[in-house]
Amino acid sequence: MRLAGKIALRAGRTLLLMICAAGATIALVRSAPGFLSDSREIDAKYAQSARSRMDSDGSRKSAGLIAIHVVQGWMHGNFGQSRQFDVPVAELVAARIRVSASLLAHGLIGGWILAICTALPISALRRGRLLWGLPFTILLAAPTAAMGTACILSQMGGPVLVLALLIAARDFKFLSGMLVGAWSAPHLLHARAQGMPARALVTMHILPNAAPQLCALITLSIVTALGALVPVEVIFSVPGVGQLAWSAAMNRDLPVLVAVSLLMACAVGVAGLLSTRAFTLEAA
Amino acid sequence: MKNRILAAFLVLLVVGAALVLRFSPDDYAAQDRDATMAPSSPRHLAGTDELGRDRIVRTAAALLIGLTGAAVAAAVSTTIAAGVGLLAAFSPSWAAAILMFVSDAFLAVPWLFLLMMARSLLPLTASPMETAVATFLVLAALGWPACARAIFSGASGLRSAEWMIHGRACGLKPRQLIRLHIVPHLRPLLLPQFLICVPAFIVAEANLGALGLGVGEPLPSWGAMLLELDNSALLARSHWIFLPIALLVLVLMVLESFTTEGKRHA
Repeated sequence: MRLAGKIALRAGRTLLLMICAAGATIALVRSAPGFLSDSREIDAKYAQSARSRMDSDGSRKSAGLIAIHVVQGWMHGNFGQSRQFDVPVAELVAARIRVSASLLAHGLIGGWILAICTALPISALRRGRLLWGLPFTILLAAPTAAMGTACILSQMGGPVLVLALLIAARDFKFLSGMLVGAWSAPHLLHARAQGMPARALVTMHILPNAAPQLCALITLSIVTALGALVPVEVIFSVPGVGQLAWSAAMNRDLPVLVAVSLLMACAVGVAGLLSTRAFTLEAA
Repeated sequence: MKNRILAAFLVLLVVGAALVLRFSPDDYAAQDRDATMAPSSPRHLAGTDELGRDRIVRTAAALLIGLTGAAVAAAVSTTIAAGVGLLAAFSPSWAAAILMFVSDAFLAVPWLFLLMMARSLLPLTASPMETAVATFLVLAALGWPACARAIFSGASGLRSAEWMIHGRACGLKPRQLIRLHIVPHLRPLLLPQFLICVPAFIVAEANLGALGLGVGEPLPSWGAMLLELDNSALLARSHWIFLPIALLVLVLMVLESFTTEGKRHA
């Protein structure tokens, strides 16, 4: 019952954060220069229709009125019409969400495998940890855009590799720090002294003990991956949500931006919720 | 010892960059039309870009702009975070909950996405200096929530310390308590927060620049110099095109080492 209550509380908080994210996006876009104009207004042939269109979709209203207009639309399952593509936002996002989800899933899995497979043996070393971890230190210092460009130039890998390397670099730092402590724990030293094989040490002692921290790391990885989604998709021209967000931000496409902000906040909230749930279950 | 060597290296880089800018015959925006996309030569040691601008001068300027901008933005961000964190720690619980909820709302949206959205909604066709100020201002304005959370938890612990109760019993006002007791005790927490922000802001500026939302031309920046790598004609002519990115990674590695050391001391 307590677990259900905690989850409900966290879900409510996530919902409130999503509403705040949507509200802040509306206020930000409404006050952005260029929001009250449409590029079609330059052409006399389309100026009248562009103006009437903007009046009809409520763009010239205040931020508060726009927010009410948007919420009313959501109630009827209508996320509005994209200003730049002139298609329903739901249709636009739904088509791209699959591409981004697949990219995220592949990147996350690749990143975790790489981080765990390298952090486990490196953390067990007595000397040379710094040297073996150097590639990850370099990766951590490289901006996402630089990694993407390097991949294009070397004609090796693609968006999945960049996301995986980025996540692996972040996760490796946390994992190696955590595992170094785990390897030197008294019970593990005792087990090692008794000649327990390394594989058994990892599966029976290290991984079960590190499970709660690993769950928290999943949330962090998802947030990192979501943040990197924009430059990765723009650089590699991946038709996903990140590219859509970038294009919407450049064109002051309010309905798309609100939907994407809501989606991002929802993804972060759900990731947080999952790690909280895992933590609570672990404690129980 | 390690920190001193790293600091000396960083100072050396900054002094070197300043000397290059001071004594180079070319300005960072000066175009040598007879030497566009030129490889290394006695006049342009690291070659030129597609507009004939000296790469060493531009890299030196990008280093100084990036470091100065990120350091100022980090200082502003840490100050905001300290203000919000302290306010939350010394306010009634409902006010603290609201302030922390606001910082959570910022953290609910991925950092780079938030930056991209905020920066793209500011004027993009301003003067180069204005775009630089806008970019680093956005970084400072959006970079405080995570720091504020850390400072809030640190200050909350200090609030119930025995010497604080003693200070209150002696009749010290809240302002005096903060100035005389809290801020000196929070310094070991504020410094790592500042050190974490500097490399994070440099990386964020580079990513924003690569999306076309960073510092405007002709002012050099890491982001704008990353965009150079897209030019295949330039790549075929000279390997010096990798100089800015190599230097950026080196600077970031040095700054990351500071961060790690700072965290250890905290």
